[in-house]
Amino acid sequence: MTQSWIDIKNTDCCLIIGSNAAEHHPISFKWVLKAKTERGAKIIHVDPKFSRTSARADLHVPLRSGTDIAFMGGMINYVLQNNKWFKEYVIDYTNASYIVNDKFSFNNGVFSGFNTEKKIYDKTSWQFERDENGVIKKDPTLQHPRCVMNILKRHYSRYTFDKVSSITGVSQENLRKVYEAYSATGVRDKAGTILYALGWTQHTVGVQNIRTAGIIQLLLGNAGIAGGGVNALRGEPNVQGTTDHAVLYNILPGYLPLPRANWQTLADYNKAATPSTKVPESINWWGNRPKYMASFLKAYFGKNATKENDFGYAWLGKGDMPTSERNGDYSFLYCYEKMKKGEMIGGSIWAHNPCNSIPNSTEVRKALCNLEFMYSAEIHHNETTDFWHSPGLNPKEVKTEVFLFPSCHRLEKSGSISSSQRMIGWHYQAAEPKGDSRAMGQIMIDIMNRVIKLYKKEKGTFPEPIVNLNWFDDYDADEIAKRISGWFTGGPDKGKQLSGFADFKDDGTTASLMWLAAGSVTETENRLKRTSLKQTEIQKITGIFPNYAWTWPMNRWILYNRASVDKMGQPWDPTRPVIKWEDGQWIGDVADGGAPPFGMKGGKNPFIMLPDGLGQLYGTGLVDGPMPEHYEPTETPITNHGFSGQLRNPCAKISPFDKIAPAGDSRYPIVLTTYSLTEHWCGGSETRMVPSLLEAEPQLYVEMSHELAKEKGIQNGDPVILESIRGQVEAVAMVTVRITPLKVQGRTVHLVGMPFAFGWTKPGVGDATNRLTLYTGDPNTSIPEYKACQVNIRKADKNALKELSYTEIKGGHHE
Amino acid sequence: MSKTFFIDTSRCTACRGCQVACKEWQGFKANYTKQLDWGSHQNPPDLNHLNYKVVKFTEFKIKDRVFWNFFPDSCRHCTEPPCKLAADGHVKDAVVIDPATGAVIFTDKTRKISDEGFLMMKEYCPYNVPRRDPETKLINKCDMCLERVEVGQVPMCVKTCPTGTMNFGDRDKMIALAHERLAKVKEEFPEATLLDEDSVRVIYLITHPRKMYPHFAAIDQHKKNASLA
Amino acid sequence: MKVTRRDLLKVAGAGAGAIALGGLGVSYLVTESYAKKLKTKGAKEVRSICPFCAVSCRFIAHVKYGKVVSTEGDPGYPISEGALCAKGATMNSMVNSEHRLLKPLYRAPFSEKWEEKSYSWMIDKLAKKIKETRDKTFTLKNAEGKVVNRLETMFHMGSSQMSNEEAAVVVQAQRALGLLYIDHQARI
Repeated sequence: MTQSWIDIKNTDCCLIIGSNAAEHHPISFKWVLKAKTERGAKIIHVDPKFSRTSARADLHVPLRSGTDIAFMGGMINYVLQNNKWFKEYVIDYTNASYIVNDKFSFNNGVFSGFNTEKKIYDKTSWQFERDENGVIKKDPTLQHPRCVMNILKRHYSRYTFDKVSSITGVSQENLRKVYEAYSATGVRDKAGTILYALGWTQHTVGVQNIRTAGIIQLLLGNAGIAGGGVNALRGEPNVQGTTDHAVLYNILPGYLPLPRANWQTLADYNKAATPSTKVPESINWWGNRPKYMASFLKAYFGKNATKENDFGYAWLGKGDMPTSERNGDYSFLYCYEKMKKGEMIGGSIWAHNPCNSIPNSTEVRKALCNLEFMYSAEIHHNETTDFWHSPGLNPKEVKTEVFLFPSCHRLEKSGSISSSQRMIGWHYQAAEPKGDSRAMGQIMIDIMNRVIKLYKKEKGTFPEPIVNLNWFDDYDADEIAKRISGWFTGGPDKGKQLSGFADFKDDGTTASLMWLAAGSVTETENRLKRTSLKQTEIQKITGIFPNYAWTWPMNRWILYNRASVDKMGQPWDPTRPVIKWEDGQWIGDVADGGAPPFGMKGGKNPFIMLPDGLGQLYGTGLVDGPMPEHYEPTETPITNHGFSGQLRNPCAKISPFDKIAPAGDSRYPIVLTTYSLTEHWCGGSETRMVPSLLEAEPQLYVEMSHELAKEKGIQNGDPVILESIRGQVEAVAMVTVRITPLKVQGRTVHLVGMPFAFGWTKPGVGDATNRLTLYTGDPNTSIPEYKACQVNIRKADKNALKELSYTEIKGGHHE
Repeated sequence: MSKTFFIDTSRCTACRGCQVACKEWQGFKANYTKQLDWGSHQNPPDLNHLNYKVVKFTEFKIKDRVFWNFFPDSCRHCTEPPCKLAADGHVKDAVVIDPATGAVIFTDKTRKISDEGFLMMKEYCPYNVPRRDPETKLINKCDMCLERVEVGQVPMCVKTCPTGTMNFGDRDKMIALAHERLAKVKEEFPEATLLDEDSVRVIYLITHPRKMYPHFAAIDQHKKNASLA
Repeated sequence: MKVTRRDLLKVAGAGAGAIALGGLGVSYLVTESYAKKLKTKGAKEVRSICPFCAVSCRFIAHVKYGKVVSTEGDPGYPISEGALCAKGATMNSMVNSEHRLLKPLYRAPFSEKWEEKSYSWMIDKLAKKIKETRDKTFTLKNAEGKVVNRLETMFHMGSSQMSNEEAAVVVQAQRALGLLYIDHQARI
């Protein structure tokens, strides 16, 4: 989230799209409803299904899953055609005036530079035009035909009401209602916010979905202001923190890129990974990358990391260069593919249940059988720990050795958690770990200590990173939090904690496990433990609590807050100030970089993480295009979407795991979308074990319209079988007015929806919905396309049910 | 000061925090529930001796617009509880009224009430609330979390509610809040009303016509007459 | 609790609804407290964070004799102000669940059952396996002959359920081993 949960109360229009906020982030609605009752904000929910979010919205707009870019592209067109954009903001704070290279083109759905064989773009032609000094050429009058504003106008002029309505299934009347209501926030005293979640990311155009929100918010001047922003409602419990700490394949902690084979030395790495700018008003924050990288290496290898040995840079594994859509991608998509081929030997799956929650889960279950060993830390048995007992597998034929460690509950350990709004807070240990359970951190420290001991004793292949590791004896959360925040490893303050970003050096005298948290644990205080509600007057207005826990970066609540003020540092809307320049300093939130306002001497551009400091209406950062373009999901009920001849995202990552039904396949005419539900957590392996939650949501269901039910002869409560080209699943029909058949290209398209919280290790509740879904990944993030695939549905014979039938054991099922 | 709940269904998102928190606080085990032959989010299907609070769902499609109403159902703690009238005829002090709060409390003595007496209590109750534990024979329902209220805390359902749907406090304050909210909600929903405001300590605000809510949401006139006859 | 005449007068003065109590003509003189004993009385209060969605609601665990006896929302957290959803309301059941894994378990190749093992047996055997795999299959150079120093035959998945401090050490360990296939629920 660029904003905070509380800041939602400051909005005038809340567009919830690709999220079911009321069900998946129930507390968010405390603030959504506050905006509604206290500000009269309009709440709009755009989603295939009418949910508990829609029930509290002013307007619910059902759309066909996977057509969000068409929907949002129509809005961009509406804003531009009707001059709804916020002039001052767009001219000063975005790259609308930049002039794009004359080699750039867009033909029949594909941008210039595409390599059909490797499925990647050469982005040279997308770049901006520069003068002889390397400075980007601009036309502040926005007359130049190749300036970003005009390129944007041309691109989205194709997104007419007619076309958008026909492909999304949204009536023109509803399109107009949403576009009018939302674009009304494009003035200085109105704010609109966009809340999205996995409903946007889990598509082959996931990142480009989010780009549409970025473009709209920049055009309307809604980025950085109170009640505005682009808000990813992060799903999992500490997913913000575990992303920051990079339990990921493509980055090191603190969003430092993964070292690659062509960057053999630290100097190579710094050269390739550090952006530069010729714009004097740009802060270009990432210009500091070498300091963060050196400090990271110092934290990993301690005194063994020296200037002479590149701080141990050579000890880090290096990925191949991304020379095709799949090369150098080490995400789970390709991990399971490798496992399936028998090229993986072993590994760990911790507090994670891929045999239920990864698409095409039947194949995942089979892939695990090819391992020699697997180790897990879990609080309960689940479909992954016990995969060798999966329905259809014979344990006697499964060779995999499994080590299962009992892990303790959060109440049995202390540590910190980062919320969706980047607030890092402390949780305390309330009780001793039950039985022989331990914190996951403790288990990993113990395993690694044993490995280090073996390497020290027996040597082995490339022992350097292991024997030189700056490791731990025991899991002590307070101590690790200090290392995360960072300390001086040399100089006059050696041994002391860093106080913030300004302390970082690239010479090996500072260390930090995750630079974004610098300053969270200082010499005198673990600020993650703070609980004070003290605020200044200005902070009270917008709901900022700077003394409660600690928010990265630098305790800043609202990101890009320099865009919330005009050139002279005064809030666009004086009644909702995030920051304000007063008596030569910023008051309110912690300003994004301390420099004076943009229009003053020494003033800086607002978007400090971007090289040139300006919001990118057109951006060259993504691999699949500088502007979002509508493509159909990998499996789609239609064969031609009418925007171009390019049916699907040409860069999408296709897994050889997947069988894919051809477009418009009459065997699978129904769109399936999948989701969580309030009463269970994601794959459900914890919440299915809680009696009161299982009581409230006891079995796998499929929500479907009365119209489809009638066509298929299905009654509410009937057992049904769903089938995709990959497999079949038993579920119970929930026939409801909350699902509406859609009119797409003049014909009726049905859509059904299913949760994925149920699995076979809890008998009688149903088994993985993800046996139906397909993996195909977004080209930027490899996120699978959970939200749209094609299925068929039929009534099942009750007596033939396996997954949903069980003997009712007295007190047994739900205990 | 006597206490009252105000339940503003215009703010309810059916997160079921109240339903589950109530059950957790009471320490009740779960019922066996299922979707087969049921197909609804409303689980368990109704109040029972292990659920003092159940969120009920009703849905309609009128002129292409979908309505999904949520109704967190529980005992209304009537100001003149008909269940007490019925119980008093069978076992004295099986149903008592807490003088401090006005809470209607089913005591251990309900165990001694005959099946016939229990049926009468159920029949008298306009909201179909009393339930009997088949094993212990206790008749039970919401007890206003009296032990919490006594020490100045709010009942667990209120404590847990994220959206301001569940409110609890001194009766005059709750009635004032109910009217203030009603006036506001009517701007958007002209048919909004308060249910049985004068005779209950659990006052619901509903946004749509009465018929769009569960059967026992409010006193049916004929039933009220019967119970007072 | 003895009810005095003063209490009754207080009730009578409480408003229209309370006055009407007498309308039934039944006795409501209560001679004992019917409130149950407050289970959280005298318990130690410990603050924790809900392990589900990323609103990160704080809750208070009430602990007696080392055991969690009840959990409820922490009103001091400015975002939830004491509220919880259905999942968050079940922390007590969750931590005290009878279904929890309590012993390290080992499943041998082709076996149909789990065996209980000691923690140190597990750690020992596993560390050897990891080293053996790493020593045998470590990649020093890629296909183009560039030095890459990586371990491609092992993977690590999970977890967003970890605290930051756990995530930091897990990633540090896996990167030290040379793993590249590191991933978790960030995207599901």
